Amino acid sequence: MDTKTALRLGTRRFLIFFAISLVFIVLMSETSFYFLKEDSDRAPKEVQLIIPEGTAARVANGETVASIPDKMVFTLGDTLTVKNEDVVSHELGPLWIPAGSSASLVLEQASKFAYTCSFQPSRYLGLDVKNPTTWLTRLAAFGLATPATAFFLFFYSIIIWPIKPKKEVVQEVPRVPVVGVNEER
Amino acid sequence: MQKTHIILFGIAILVGLIAVVGAFFLTGPYAYQGSLIDPPVQAKDFSLIDQNGGTFRLSDQQGKVLMIFFGYTNCPDECPATLAEFKGLISQLGDAAQQVRFVFITVDPERDTQERLQEYLGNFDPSIIGLTGNLTDLKKVWNDYGIYQEEILSEDTSNYSVGHTNRIYAIDVHGNLRLTYPFGIDQDKILQDLVHLSREN
Repeated sequence: MDTKTALRLGTRRFLIFFAISLVFIVLMSETSFYFLKEDSDRAPKEVQLIIPEGTAARVANGETVASIPDKMVFTLGDTLTVKNEDVVSHELGPLWIPAGSSASLVLEQASKFAYTCSFQPSRYLGLDVKNPTTWLTRLAAFGLATPATAFFLFFYSIIIWPIKPKKEVVQEVPRVPVVGVNEER
Repeated sequence: MQKTHIILFGIAILVGLIAVVGAFFLTGPYAYQGSLIDPPVQAKDFSLIDQNGGTFRLSDQQGKVLMIFFGYTNCPDECPATLAEFKGLISQLGDAAQQVRFVFITVDPERDTQERLQEYLGNFDPSIIGLTGNLTDLKKVWNDYGIYQEEILSEDTSNYSVGHTNRIYAIDVHGNLRLTYPFGIDQDKILQDLVHLSREN
């Protein structure tokens, strides 16, 4: 087999494996995403937290407020708006919320924060800001995994199934007696 | 219709569309960079003594934007950093700085005398107003603005530091609390807000 034929057959085989890998990776990745996706896997939005009236008095007595969670999970880029319906001002980390008003905070950094908080008996509120899995993240996964899988399958196939040209079918040509030359001689 | 007329007509429509879209984006509502207090609340009035011995009353400042920070002159980190930011903002604002008052209210009245405030703030920008007063008056202001203040003794007890809230408060020209800024926020973000707030006058 000459080099040109080997290259042509090799490229054809690689492209076939690339297509198979792409389908396989897309199916695997999207199935995993479907079953494992979290609440934070979404576009950024405004999240409102309401401090009900009487919160400061309850916190002073060591009581928790049922509507206020200990920990909140956000998507990067979310805006947390804290609405203060209490009769005194409250604070949450960098936010100061006067009574009867609201204040907002754009969560611009993915990390786990423990903010000082005036409306929790523990005086802390945990904020978990996560990077969302977007369509770009998923696309990047296809882009990274597909070539690697295709190359693996391609090299593996070369070991167990070396590149060979298809066997040519040699047709039996019936021998026709040549008429003449020797006989003439 | 001639070909030239058709081209000119097309260009005119394109320019018109760009103008309409541009106007929509340029005149859209301004999004503040700080934490917006919505609806704004009237800032609680107070009266304290400035570094020159004069009386500073908050309610006399209407028509100006106020940037208020609570700190102390022996502070090793956050206070000088914030005052340096104030100095930078005054410089960036140029003539527009006349519409803004930068105010530093002490959380350590024992050591922050008028003279000390005058000397310390002079190192940054003499136009920054330093306020002190008696402990009762200051405690009321701290409480009204949600300021945490705690004296922390050093190991040899001869010295102390003061733990305190480090946010900046912005009060608009009508005397309303409008925005707060966390420590370390980018100076340019505050500048944009200040330019917008001072235009409300």
